Amino acid sequence: MLRSKTTGNESGRTPWNRFLYNNNTVGYTFASPFIIGFLVFTIIPMLSSLYYSCTNYNMIEKETFIGIANYVNLFKDERFINSVLVTLQYVVFSVPLKLAFALFIAFLLTRPSRLVSFYRSLYYLPSLIGGSVAVALVWKELFARKGLINTNLGKLGIHTVNWFGNMSAAKWPIILMTAWQFGSSMLIFAAGLKEIPSSYYEAAKIDGANGWQIFWRITMPCLSPVIMFNLIMQLISSFMVFTQAFVITGGGPNDATMYYALYVYKQGIQTRNMGYASAMSWVMLLIMGTITAIVFKTSKHWVFNESES
Amino acid sequence: MKMKQFLAVVLSAAMMLGLAACGDKTVSNSDSASVSASKTSVSASASASESTETEEKEPVTLRMAWWGSQTRHDRTVAVIELYESLNPHVTIEYEPMDFEGYFNKLATLVASNDVWDIFQLGSNFPTYQSKIYLLNDFIKDGTIDVSGTTDAFLRIAADEKGNQVGLCSGVNTYGIAYDPELFKQAGVAEPTQNWTWEDYKNACLTIHEKLGIYGSSKFDDWQAGASMGINQEGFGIGFFTKTNDGLGFTDYKMLSDYMQMRADLVDAGAYPDPGACKEISDIENDFVVSGEAAMTWVASNQFVSLCNAAGRELKLINPPRKKADGPAGVSIQSSQMLCVSQDSKHPDEAAKFIQFFQSSIDANKILLAERGIPTFTAVREALAGDLTDVEKAVYEYVDVVGSFDTGGESVNPASPACTDTIKEQYNYYLEKVIYKEMTADEAAKALYDFAASQF
Repeated sequence: MLRSKTTGNESGRTPWNRFLYNNNTVGYTFASPFIIGFLVFTIIPMLSSLYYSCTNYNMIEKETFIGIANYVNLFKDERFINSVLVTLQYVVFSVPLKLAFALFIAFLLTRPSRLVSFYRSLYYLPSLIGGSVAVALVWKELFARKGLINTNLGKLGIHTVNWFGNMSAAKWPIILMTAWQFGSSMLIFAAGLKEIPSSYYEAAKIDGANGWQIFWRITMPCLSPVIMFNLIMQLISSFMVFTQAFVITGGGPNDATMYYALYVYKQGIQTRNMGYASAMSWVMLLIMGTITAIVFKTSKHWVFNESES
Repeated sequence: MKMKQFLAVVLSAAMMLGLAACGDKTVSNSDSASVSASKTSVSASASASESTETEEKEPVTLRMAWWGSQTRHDRTVAVIELYESLNPHVTIEYEPMDFEGYFNKLATLVASNDVWDIFQLGSNFPTYQSKIYLLNDFIKDGTIDVSGTTDAFLRIAADEKGNQVGLCSGVNTYGIAYDPELFKQAGVAEPTQNWTWEDYKNACLTIHEKLGIYGSSKFDDWQAGASMGINQEGFGIGFFTKTNDGLGFTDYKMLSDYMQMRADLVDAGAYPDPGACKEISDIENDFVVSGEAAMTWVASNQFVSLCNAAGRELKLINPPRKKADGPAGVSIQSSQMLCVSQDSKHPDEAAKFIQFFQSSIDANKILLAERGIPTFTAVREALAGDLTDVEKAVYEYVDVVGSFDTGGESVNPASPACTDTIKEQYNYYLEKVIYKEMTADEAAKALYDFAASQF
């Protein structure tokens, strides 16, 4: 009855109106800003970079097609191999550190307190400004030879560290800066923690579990889907580390912080081997895809899924 | 239904507004244009002699960019404002930048066919040759009047076929700025014109030992160790051939001495390590300025900025030689030039500005030879009257370098397009030597092979 009424109503309109009020039309219209943006800023650049990766494009002269030569040369390039290794090292250090810190703070902030939302905003602040060049410059000054960190180390009678002149020390300011921007992971963890029913904790307490047991037997399993989400997001963003290294160390000393994205930039923009840099970007995509796939594959062993249990 | 209709009305209203806003912009643009046009006619009628010329001119917007220090930015902007006040129909949008940022931006603009109308280039111009609007025709038809300069000065901003790629902003040369007071305190004799790299190294070590500061601040390693370094091996020997189609030397060992010396000095603490070098962002915060180093590498035109920033007496000497009686390696060159881009819609207006910038006495009284010693005779003479002592020292130094024996060889004003890549590789290997992952000999050999493979 109701159905025939609506069709009756619509058949009274012109085809134009029928088109205008069609669900698909409305849907695509409202989605169009994203679709256009996705096409113009993601798909088209990706396809053109795929094409350029098979050419010797240098941004000035007309490119010529050279097949997979760029990809072959990549694996003969010791700087490229080095950039993969230092990036992996950075990811291995920075992601667990950042996630552990985010979880720790999120855990502290689940306690009922009137200041919780204030603290939450406070700890989120570095994430808002953390990616900016201005903060990177501040860190550069902090860790400079005569910067605040070294001055205070000196006052404490500890040997000052030549942060950016020492190949093994240079990565730490950058890793610390990344860990410092734990805010967004923290918020997601905090939301996840709130989702865990308090009845679980009450039951555990009645059974006589201590805090440590409760954390490992209840909090961690219930939080594991959120952990996986955060892990993947942070893995991806860590592989793309650029701003901090570009501003603070410029890749030095002796390529100790020449991260993947920075090397792509160096090849593509500074020495204008745009074809080569495009090939590097595609290898990066493969590496990141593989790692994400591994995380997904192994997830069934460590991610707790309520529907399965 | 009502809600939908309401939405449709709101949305279409929003779109109309958006369109109207776009329309508005163009209106206001032409508004301001007509305002400036009427300004033009006012000033034109005021100066009766120009009235017929200026009244008809359409408003023109030019974009310009350059690299340099804060001093250069301030002075260049002042000249742009002066030009705009003299030519009300011209608006110049400018982008002052640092050296690296400038060339990174230029690379992207080249790729998008959107290079600034007026841009600055150095000896690396062959890389961008396809983007340069040659000035030959403008010189022929008199848009650019070159009667005030000499052929020799025109040639340093021309390619090997004699095409005028730009107008030289000034000539300069490389040198070492040193603090005589620190040398005295350390008991080291001041350098002479015939000092050698051995003298330099010993001076660095002694100054570091006695005063606890760096003997030397950051050098342009590529220039000192490779480009100029190879020139010092003998007359007629250069890193690249004169025709820029290959390497101009055969023995890779010519590269290793400098690398070894740099590594030794960093080891001893007499030269800033790569991390400390990163703390120097431009000449105005060099370690010499803060008194943490006794000497540094400069282009002669930077010496004035350096002295102003330091506020102490500094002196200028030519870079050390490989052999005391060998070639000095340095030569007078075009420090940089202004070029017109192929992407410019108003190349003639851009050329007129460049002509003004290089040859107007008023403009150059603002610029004060900060880009190097001017190439137009009248400008040079006008500036000569009120030179400060520091500026005089620069002029004298350039004269000294000009008087060095070159063995009858002329200077190659251009470097091949692959220079950036080779330079990048040179710095990469040099750091490997400093961090002992390669010996100087291995690095020199590897660089030689790499450079040779670029041709």
